[in-house]
Amino acid sequence: MQTRKSLWMMFASLISLLAMLLSACGGTATPEGPAPAAPVEAIRLGSINDTTGPTSDVGKDYALGIREAIAYVNDNGGVNGKPIELFQYDYGYRVPEAITTYKRFRDQDKVVAVLGWGTGDTSALAPTVTQDKMPYVSASYSAELTDPAKTPYNLFFSTDYSTNARAAITAWYEEVWLKDARFESRRSAGDKPRFVAFYSFPTPYSSAPIKAIKEQAELLGFEIGPDQDVSLTALDTKSQVLAASEFGPDLVWHGNTTMSVAAALKDSAALELGADHIVNNWGYDENLPRLAGDAAEGVIGIVPSALFGEEAAPGEPGVTMADVMEYAQKYNPNVPPEKRLVRTVQAWGDVLLLWEAMKRADAAGDLSGEGIRKAFETLENYDLGLGAPPVTFTPTDHRPGSAVNLYIIRGGGFELLTRVDLKERWPDLWPTWLGY
Amino acid sequence: MELFLQLLVSGILVGSIYALVALGWTLIYKSSSVLNLAMGELTLVGAYVCLTLYNWGIPFPVAVLGSLVMGAILGLLVERLVLRPLIGEPVLTVIMVTVGLSFLLRGLVGLIWGTDTVVFNPAVFPAESIRIGPVIITPVYLGGFVASLILLAFFVWFFQGTRWGLAMQATADDQMAALSLGVSARLVYAIAWAIAFMAAGVGGIFLGSINGLNISVGHLGLLVLPAVVLGGLNSVPGAIAGGLIIGVLQNLTGGYLDRFIPGGIKDIFPLAFMAVFLIFKPYGLWGWVKIERV
Amino acid sequence: MFRLPAGTYFQSYRQAHRFWPTRFMTFRMIVLLVVLFAVVPFTFSNYALSIANRIGYTILAAMGVQLLIGFTGQLTLGHAAFVAVGAYTSAIFTLTAADYASSSPFWGFLTDTGMAYPLSILLACLLAGLWSVLFGLPSARIKGFGIILTTMAAQFITVDFVIAQYVSQIGGRGHYFSIPPGTLKIGRWVLTGDRDAYFLMLILVTGVTAAMINWKRTRLGRAWIAIRDNDIAAEILGVDIVRYKQLAYFAAGMLAGLAGSFWITSLFFVSPEHFVWSNSLWWVGVILIGGVGAIDGTIFGSIFLELMLVLVNSFSVANILFLYFKDIAFGLAVIIFLLYEPNGLSYRWWQIKNYFYLWPFSYK
Repeated sequence: MQTRKSLWMMFASLISLLAMLLSACGGTATPEGPAPAAPVEAIRLGSINDTTGPTSDVGKDYALGIREAIAYVNDNGGVNGKPIELFQYDYGYRVPEAITTYKRFRDQDKVVAVLGWGTGDTSALAPTVTQDKMPYVSASYSAELTDPAKTPYNLFFSTDYSTNARAAITAWYEEVWLKDARFESRRSAGDKPRFVAFYSFPTPYSSAPIKAIKEQAELLGFEIGPDQDVSLTALDTKSQVLAASEFGPDLVWHGNTTMSVAAALKDSAALELGADHIVNNWGYDENLPRLAGDAAEGVIGIVPSALFGEEAAPGEPGVTMADVMEYAQKYNPNVPPEKRLVRTVQAWGDVLLLWEAMKRADAAGDLSGEGIRKAFETLENYDLGLGAPPVTFTPTDHRPGSAVNLYIIRGGGFELLTRVDLKERWPDLWPTWLGY
Repeated sequence: MELFLQLLVSGILVGSIYALVALGWTLIYKSSSVLNLAMGELTLVGAYVCLTLYNWGIPFPVAVLGSLVMGAILGLLVERLVLRPLIGEPVLTVIMVTVGLSFLLRGLVGLIWGTDTVVFNPAVFPAESIRIGPVIITPVYLGGFVASLILLAFFVWFFQGTRWGLAMQATADDQMAALSLGVSARLVYAIAWAIAFMAAGVGGIFLGSINGLNISVGHLGLLVLPAVVLGGLNSVPGAIAGGLIIGVLQNLTGGYLDRFIPGGIKDIFPLAFMAVFLIFKPYGLWGWVKIERV
Repeated sequence: MFRLPAGTYFQSYRQAHRFWPTRFMTFRMIVLLVVLFAVVPFTFSNYALSIANRIGYTILAAMGVQLLIGFTGQLTLGHAAFVAVGAYTSAIFTLTAADYASSSPFWGFLTDTGMAYPLSILLACLLAGLWSVLFGLPSARIKGFGIILTTMAAQFITVDFVIAQYVSQIGGRGHYFSIPPGTLKIGRWVLTGDRDAYFLMLILVTGVTAAMINWKRTRLGRAWIAIRDNDIAAEILGVDIVRYKQLAYFAAGMLAGLAGSFWITSLFFVSPEHFVWSNSLWWVGVILIGGVGAIDGTIFGSIFLELMLVLVNSFSVANILFLYFKDIAFGLAVIIFLLYEPNGLSYRWWQIKNYFYLWPFSYK
């Protein structure tokens, strides 16, 4: 009795199992999002963005910018006539999801290059990307990604964080410390300016340029005070400001994104810290004066491209700010132009860079990962336009440039303060600064 | 000495905002024995509603009132739909439902308002700080402090002096006995959640006025737990005291210990302190001691 | 809940103690194992295998949570910290072995014979277990809500503080670093790519499941369940509560360490961002949806939630509405399951199976 029934059950389960396996073997049926129908020769690009996570205050704008830039590229001939098909997904700054999305891009969507976002996941994917020979154009400008010996496939259009940081501190030193009247007496007394860094210790993106900026501070002759840990979502930074005020800094570096930088600026103003501020590029955008109000006055920061709506010369791709604004209005009309940030322009910068590299690779007949990388390395003093300094890639140095634009906030608006070219100033030290 | 005073005062003022949110938490626990892990998101909802109303041009006091009303409605809805079916379920289930609720609310807030930081425009509180002796105070924090004192007084009176307050305490102590005496447990729960939403909303409004409102303001919810544990889970004055103490502790450790133990101690110190404190006083400073008899 | 097919009679104790008491069950499980070990890795794409690896990782992590919450009744919300301890231990140990391979005979021996990684797994388990006991000590005095707080404290102290500040000093690597491909090997089998990770995952998951089932059947497991159900009664009956609670924390920590060591094979990278608080919450959600106290519940819950995540992720950014779906979906899933299926997927699965087992005697 039991034997017959169990035999029957075994048989039935075997049949159903075979049926399931056969249907599964037919294809890995994973549900796909709505992807536009594209002709066979479309070139596929993947984009991983943070539109819902802790960096989404800057990530959302960037994601919109990517979409619009790709639309522009397709309207203007694509890659030598072939259109681009974009697969864009949100990962909420959760690194494991970035990894899985990347694998999906590589294995299922079969993209030829990836547009990435955050430092944590970009660094995590770097070894894999190198192994897969997949060009990865990220919004993370971490200097650790600039050494072709370690990460040849990680690329981006803007100067890297460490170069930016060095340029910022140099700019303050030259424009403010050496020129401003309020430091006159201290300068003649031979005093050293005092420097403190405010950043989020555990976040890879914030802590990336710290070593470099401290080195630069020592080079210029600063006295360096204790670092202050400000979390990315910090609302109250009074104790950090008070601890810093014990040291009495003249200059404070902010390494976070806009919201926590605004909090630190406001608290510094409220507690009368009396220091000047330099901010890295992801903490410095049109939102900063809105959030920090009067506390943002006189704050210097790094801006990798022109601000949204700012006049900028077209450069080689021929894209003007009017184009950027037109496409922003066309594809995302529900976001008013006053709310758009420089991040959109940064997205255009990365897309235009990749576009040029793909055009060159395609013209050379090799639109593979390796071909695109070689095409990148042919770029020399290439002018992207849109206010970005010219980019150069060589097989031994993937730092896009050495010239950084520093802006200052005056009267709630932005003004170009100066441009610092590190290679010009320290030509023998410049090669030693690669990779960190 | 000046540093210490400044840290102390800032701590008390920041702590008063924690206290507001802790108050809401204690109310829920006191009335329905629900351990609520969604306090951060409740703060968000109230704050965002007020902000939206204010940015539409409605004067601030009316906007606050509007968010209070919205909070009350939401509290009633949550209680009705999610918590009433779970009366009698084990503790973990209820806690996880509130966790699920927190994810849900966070997603909804993100969906409706996006993740951009929004500010009260024009600013509600003046930005210049007030100087009292060696200490600098920002008006926003002062406002929060005053608000939490007012609410504290109100709730202490409510729980000790009114019939409904006593009914809520009775329900928290022994639901069955209270039911048998004619107290409507359902109404008690509904009121508790409504009040919690409102208190958290007020806290959120002040938080939003400090440095803008953003989804990450919801992370505050974590800091509320040490505050309530310190004060005692069931005690309303305990919640306020706990919030203040946590604020002070945070600032003092941030100011003094940061130089020895670089980085990050400010955020984790309250939790670490809690863990140690619980070993010595498992019921907090003023909590009801649960005596387990065999 | 666990019913046997109608007409099953045991004639010896040995038969009654078997893992798979009936022939049909044995057959079914062998087929499952064959499919998992031999068919899946060679027919599924790399992407599907990476999803399977994620499911496996979730299972390993959630098993520890299941042990603490489902078996022993200790509400833990800080499990990601112990997984992090395991991951970092394993990564740092393996990397140190690789770095010193040429200079020291001991490390050289480990690296050449490929014993560095397996040894690091053991070390990771041990360390994570001890670390877990450290944060489990308060459970001797505190019950219920207080434990939630101490485990939350564990989460933040470990990941945001100890790892970010102190562990980053070891070897000067900083708190996030990558592991060069080729470093992770077991014996002569070099772990690269998803398929290798998949095999490792299967071995670990099978091992852990077997361990959990055995624990539950022995004295240890019965003591844990007694503590969960009524700790005062257990104490009266002679169960040393403090000792068994600490053992539970140790065991859960060990499982977490195992999960952490496995995790580094899928990414070859460690960073504190991988072990945030929402991961701890996610794993508690996994066991709640799967069924608290049921081992197969962990597996069902993991599969369900990870597949749901994959489904939600597949909606492109272009569709703004779906952006927040992940949080909303998780929140809704947890709430709906707790309202309507408080015993989880495992219970539902057993109901279905019992229907067939007891057929034609489907009434109780």
